[in-house]
Amino acid sequence: MQEPSVNIVVVGGGSGGTLSANLLAKQLGNEINAGRVQVHLVLGSHEHIFQPGYLHVAFVGQDPTEIVREERSLVNQNVHLVEDRAERIDLKSQVVTLASRVKLHYDYLIIATGSVPNPKAIPGFSEAALNFHTSPEESRKIWNVIQQFDGGHVVVGIAGVPHKCPPSPNEAAFLMDDYFRKGGMRDKVKLTFLTPYPRPYPAEPMSRVVEPLFKERGIEVVTFFNVESVDPAKKEIYSLEGESLSYDLLIMVPPHRGADVVVESGIGDADGWIPADKNTMRITGYENAYAIGDATNIPVSKTGVTAHLQAITVTDNILSAIRQRKKLYKYNGRINCPFEMGSGKAAFVVGSYDMPVKEIHPSRIRYMMKKGFAMFYWRTLSGSLDWLFGLYFGKTQTVESA
Amino acid sequence: MCPGPITDLFRAYRNANVGDVIELLATDPAARSDTEAWARRSGNEIVAVIDEKDYLRIQVCVVKKGR
Repeated sequence: MQEPSVNIVVVGGGSGGTLSANLLAKQLGNEINAGRVQVHLVLGSHEHIFQPGYLHVAFVGQDPTEIVREERSLVNQNVHLVEDRAERIDLKSQVVTLASRVKLHYDYLIIATGSVPNPKAIPGFSEAALNFHTSPEESRKIWNVIQQFDGGHVVVGIAGVPHKCPPSPNEAAFLMDDYFRKGGMRDKVKLTFLTPYPRPYPAEPMSRVVEPLFKERGIEVVTFFNVESVDPAKKEIYSLEGESLSYDLLIMVPPHRGADVVVESGIGDADGWIPADKNTMRITGYENAYAIGDATNIPVSKTGVTAHLQAITVTDNILSAIRQRKKLYKYNGRINCPFEMGSGKAAFVVGSYDMPVKEIHPSRIRYMMKKGFAMFYWRTLSGSLDWLFGLYFGKTQTVESA
Repeated sequence: MCPGPITDLFRAYRNANVGDVIELLATDPAARSDTEAWARRSGNEIVAVIDEKDYLRIQVCVVKKGR
């Protein structure tokens, strides 16, 4: 077979990477079959985890195996799956080097390597705190522990910013309140929500929704608490601001950083976030390399929906370049984070670069919508439900002449 | 957008030493009141808030960090 004239490499098999590879393979099917284009998807793991599912594994007792699938089963047959770890990305030479030392040259690159929870960044954190951001197994540990918990001070919150899924710490507090109420032991539990932000939810309009609900449920809030360290022996947590708080059970979102390959390739900032244009997702200084989802330093929520919408824009731009359509697509910053607020109700955090976050109250219908998104998640990765996304989200990008 | 410039302030504060000045550039008008509230609570000092043409330049001197 002749050497393909266009090589596209996607690094990372999460939501953004999988969708990007699938969209490209679908649109470029003829070119791929003719050997003119090749789409490589470099996976860090053979498993794909539906990460929003961690919450229900931890606090509702969902079976962790239900949120994991083989990546292979989710990928278009026209995608060349590379089951190897990307070790180095050289943007200048346009080469991705794998752990096996194989080098993949690219004409277009999409980095979708996500964010990495980093519990070790906070002294004492790993020994002291449980978390629902690192794996299905870690999330399951929480479920096992709260079932044995017979009362005391539960502290739930955020140990570092930014982190993936901004509503998830608040959701954890709501779901724990539900859990202890259902078990008839809410009066034996003091529940405190700890946050570095000035209010229970960082975006004020949604905080106006959360605050009265926390009050109604007896969830106390400690603000401006940037976790410095935890003493597992004393069961005390300390802040950079000089305050301390004691706990009996500590459940925290760990600090996050960029992926190892980004850090080791020197293409990210100090914390490993890749500098990229907030509309085109082009990596600063490079026309043919993009970063999407959690991997970037773009000031937008680190969520799967963001990665999904950015993948659409980036693949449209790559298709436009390959087909010389001279069009430039620009993501408008649309976010839509599902936000479970207990009692079987949910809201969404909705906004964009030009539209401040809206005040949206929880309802049963929105909860059903959240469940619907979760149910259809695996199918959304193929891009076959993008018509539905389009109907629901409206415009998520603009197009102009390149 | 959430979580906004205050996130950048906290990232910088985590890596700063006492005596450092953190400069925050923000288009979000809430950055001013949020930073002021945080400085009051944490005992840190706002050196200047400069209204540039399209953004705010907020300078914070780290005078207190940790226990």
